Amino acid sequence: MTLYGKRYARLNKRLALVVDDEAVNREMLGFILQDDYDILPAGDGREAMRLLRERGADISVLLLDLLMPVMSGFDVLHEMRTLEAARDIPVIVLTSEARAEVECLKLGAVDFIKKPYNAPEAVLARVNRVVELFEDRQLIEAAENDPLTGLYNRAFFYEYAGQRDRQLSDCEMDAVALDIDRFRLLNEMNGRAYGDRVLRAIGGVLAGFAGEHDGLAARCGSDLFYLYCRHQESYEPLRRRLGQVLDELSDAVRIRVRFGVYPAADKEMEMEHRFDRAKAACDAIRDDYKQCVNVYSDELHAREVYAERLMNDMGEAIASGQFCVYYQPKFNIRGEEPVLCSAEALVRWRHPELGFISPGVFIPLFEQNGLISQLERHIWERAAAQMREWKDRFGVSIPVSVNVSRIDLYDPNLGQWFAGLMEKYALSPGEYWLEITESAYTEDTAQLLAMVSALREAGFKVEMDDFGSGYSSLNMLFMMPVDALKLDMKFVQNIEKSGKNREIIRVLMNLAGCLGVPTIVEGVEEQEQVDMLKSAGCDIIQGYYFSRPLPPEEFERFIKGGKEEC
Amino acid sequence: MLTIDALRAWGANVDEGLTRCCGNEAFYLRLAGMAAQDGNFARLEEALGAEDYSAAFEAAHALKGVLANLALTPWLAPVSEMTELLRGRQKADCAALLSEARRQRDAFVALCKG
Repeated sequence: MTLYGKRYARLNKRLALVVDDEAVNREMLGFILQDDYDILPAGDGREAMRLLRERGADISVLLLDLLMPVMSGFDVLHEMRTLEAARDIPVIVLTSEARAEVECLKLGAVDFIKKPYNAPEAVLARVNRVVELFEDRQLIEAAENDPLTGLYNRAFFYEYAGQRDRQLSDCEMDAVALDIDRFRLLNEMNGRAYGDRVLRAIGGVLAGFAGEHDGLAARCGSDLFYLYCRHQESYEPLRRRLGQVLDELSDAVRIRVRFGVYPAADKEMEMEHRFDRAKAACDAIRDDYKQCVNVYSDELHAREVYAERLMNDMGEAIASGQFCVYYQPKFNIRGEEPVLCSAEALVRWRHPELGFISPGVFIPLFEQNGLISQLERHIWERAAAQMREWKDRFGVSIPVSVNVSRIDLYDPNLGQWFAGLMEKYALSPGEYWLEITESAYTEDTAQLLAMVSALREAGFKVEMDDFGSGYSSLNMLFMMPVDALKLDMKFVQNIEKSGKNREIIRVLMNLAGCLGVPTIVEGVEEQEQVDMLKSAGCDIIQGYYFSRPLPPEEFERFIKGGKEEC
Repeated sequence: MLTIDALRAWGANVDEGLTRCCGNEAFYLRLAGMAAQDGNFARLEEALGAEDYSAAFEAAHALKGVLANLALTPWLAPVSEMTELLRGRQKADCAALLSEARRQRDAFVALCKG
């Protein structure tokens, strides 16, 4: 029975474990309590422990005699402390020995009933009061605490942290956020039970550290912890302590915990805001494996302010046409002469005040917070409209590929949306390519497989973008239906320097050949690269060697040049 | 058969004992009957005979708790005194008190047999 179950039991009766070696005393106490309690009798401490182990979750109160044969009440109090099932049961000691009271209180008893018993009404009222106070306390704790780690939850943490500020008004306090790297993968690879042990271990260390430094700790997300404590010059001792505890859990699994610190937090600032800053510092070193502790800085603050500005401005930027779509041509190099075969639509942002903003800045930002969907739909439509215009003006079809973020693939209406777009601009899905980054394929495989299959069945062509940069397994590659593999430009950038990369590219070309799909390499800049890729069997090249991404009017020179062979 | 009147006449504080049993006479008399069967008095006699004062204290203490709850005053009084004498779990002269306790126990058992 849960805590709530025990409380619900009020509608029926709670269960009281009455432990006394004297049957007369047990029966008399049971008789006194019988209107409000079902009685579980035990004649000695050992029997009591057995019942606590078996039915601890159902028991609302333990009434315990001290002097008993076999196992005394003192021994029961000792042993109960190590028994999880008995931890939440209040103990009332039955005694005529006033001098035993202090020791019993130290061992965790919450009240006493004197022998001989007082008036039954007084005994019953006393037991009920203890049980109700205990249950109320448990309800409050359940509301305040994360059940897995016992740390505060977010809402109560902020409340108590505010109280701590008032209590320690002259003391500098740090806001610290801690996050476990790739916790979802840790859970998947080692099991949920292992993940829970990791969380409990971290919770234990943080609770201890908080206690030593006038602090508080909370678990605020699946693997996000907050710590509010006296200012520390360094969090290295805490990081080492955490490392030791986590190493003890397993030699084989390496766990990285990132720290973000907003030091000597400005107490005028709202508590949530202080921890937003600590978390921003923590998030900023997500990909920096050399650094585990990051302190919030002015530079980070400026980046945050900038990011906030971009997010706020995006809607207006779409409405006022600040986003431009550029087109980078892709050339087929299989023949003697390279032939224009398609283009990739790439977004550019010309901000009226901030100037040109790199997509490398705003796209990851919009991907993080979901704004990317709105922007991408805008780009998809602009690209479709452009294709229509080129068709009408030049009478040719230039296939254009657009980027599709992982988040869009979770939209069950995506296929319908694209179908509507094709209808609106009278395009066929075969000339509209979708670039899906390889890393998207590593999550929720079944759902992605279903979505990509549905899009292909509707006639759209799918390119696996950034192939080779992520973690796709070969199995995944064979399962996932694609129409082209697009290699990450990082492979190409060092192509002349590294013999290994050249070999890897050959292997990838062969792999594409086995799958029966063409390869596209982007980021190609040099003649040597083109020659090498051509000899390796590459089909299509995109990059500055042929052209940078161009605004539509400039791209038209390729169309007008009559080089297209679509 | 044990009755309330007989207990009262013997000197038990029946009202106090009955109060602890929520005024239920039948329940009180049943518990009193159980006290007549209580093995602690025999253990007390045996422990004193063997000069095991620790065991004697535990038996006296346990018996005292039962008799006090039932308010069987005539028997409780010598047992209470013995409990205090034996609290140090060391040699104590309990002969007179044991004799009185035995006399009261026998009287109580006789009441129970009616």
